[in-house]
Amino acid sequence: MSQSNGNHDLFENLRLELRRGCLSLAVLSQLRTERYGYTLRKALAEQGLEIDEGTLYPLLRRLESQGLLTSVWREEEKRNKRFYRLSPEGKLMLKQLGAEWQRINSSLNGIL
Amino acid sequence: MELLDRYLQAIEFWLPKRQRQDIIAELSEDLRSQIEEKETELGRKLEDGEVEAVLKRCGSPLAVASRYRSQQYLIGPALFPIYQFVLAVLVIGCVVPRCLIWLGFLIADPAHSGYLHMENVLGTILYFVFFTTLAFAIIERSGVKLQGLETWSPRKLPPVRDPNRISRFGSLFEIAAAMVFNVWFVSIFWPGPAIDFYGVRITIAPVWQVFFWSFLFLAAANVAIAGVNLFRPYWTRLRASLRLVADGLGAGLFCGLLKAQVLAGISASSLPAPKAIELTNLINLWMARALPWAIVVTFVILSFDVYRIMRVRCIHLHGSSIGPAVKDLSNPMVNGN
Repeated sequence: MSQSNGNHDLFENLRLELRRGCLSLAVLSQLRTERYGYTLRKALAEQGLEIDEGTLYPLLRRLESQGLLTSVWREEEKRNKRFYRLSPEGKLMLKQLGAEWQRINSSLNGIL
Repeated sequence: MELLDRYLQAIEFWLPKRQRQDIIAELSEDLRSQIEEKETELGRKLEDGEVEAVLKRCGSPLAVASRYRSQQYLIGPALFPIYQFVLAVLVIGCVVPRCLIWLGFLIADPAHSGYLHMENVLGTILYFVFFTTLAFAIIERSGVKLQGLETWSPRKLPPVRDPNRISRFGSLFEIAAAMVFNVWFVSIFWPGPAIDFYGVRITIAPVWQVFFWSFLFLAAANVAIAGVNLFRPYWTRLRASLRLVADGLGAGLFCGLLKAQVLAGISASSLPAPKAIELTNLINLWMARALPWAIVVTFVILSFDVYRIMRVRCIHLHGSSIGPAVKDLSNPMVNGN
């Protein structure tokens, strides 16, 4: 029982580790067009990549502090929302990371 | 929305001050959107239990707030192993000797065991832990680069250690020191009715004969072991066990000597008889008082000997990551068993 729990925890840790880098790429890719947090989460979920708010918003802030995103507060449907989009550096980074992802993906496909 | 406001307030408390409002506004917007969407689906207001479920899924306030903070540590991963090592050395160096001394007194001289207050040990440990942690935290904060971490090279690393290899220099030194000591010991302490020592006549109890010959026999055994070690410089189980026996007997004899009141009398031309008796008693008393310390030293020596046997046994059973040592041990010329 405890070994099964241990395996589950280990799997969960490794899964999170695997997802961490992918999420940055996924978020950058979805912000080619301007979105606010909630619609961004929904867009990712619709494509099978669930991400909770506790992970998404700190990630958005980190990417913005790294200069890859720009954000602006704007009123929409009578509520203030923060809209994000890729900065020019973010576009370049997305291109580079996309190419790296393709390379890793094809390598892993061969290995697995 | 009272639950939501309470939840946001709890998160706000743990957030960095400068970003608080911004983060709370964004998070609040997301959670309100989620709740509104559910309400639209259900066609009614959410009940408290349903709002609670949404918030619980989001995570505890502390966990949510912590994700907005950069990773913080008092002592970083580069320094931490050094910190751990220093702390272990200091704490072990502080606790073990005191425990051993206390144990020695408890066994040999219980009346004086209260002399060492064990409760002080905890205070000393806390003192070491506090100042070591403080020193390392200051190094971490100051951003001082430790030279060894920056300018290391494989060439500067210490050579591979083989704990089972016996230094030839060590064996030679042991033999030479034993020879010198034995010559001195035999010339001065040869059993007889009395020893003349720089004008002082020391009378020794007859029991000294037992100690003398036993010490001499053990000294010869130790020289023999060191001699074999010189030519076969790897510990084997046999030699490690023999060393344990020799050290055990030697330490036992020494402890026995301290308790045996072996000094029967002292006389010198300038020493009045009552003073001589007083001095004799005093020396015997102090020899007996030294017994707890001798027990401590014995314990340390024997522990090391036992550890050596276990190490040899472990390498014999499981091998070692040190290639040359294992190969050499499997060589009967080197093994010596």
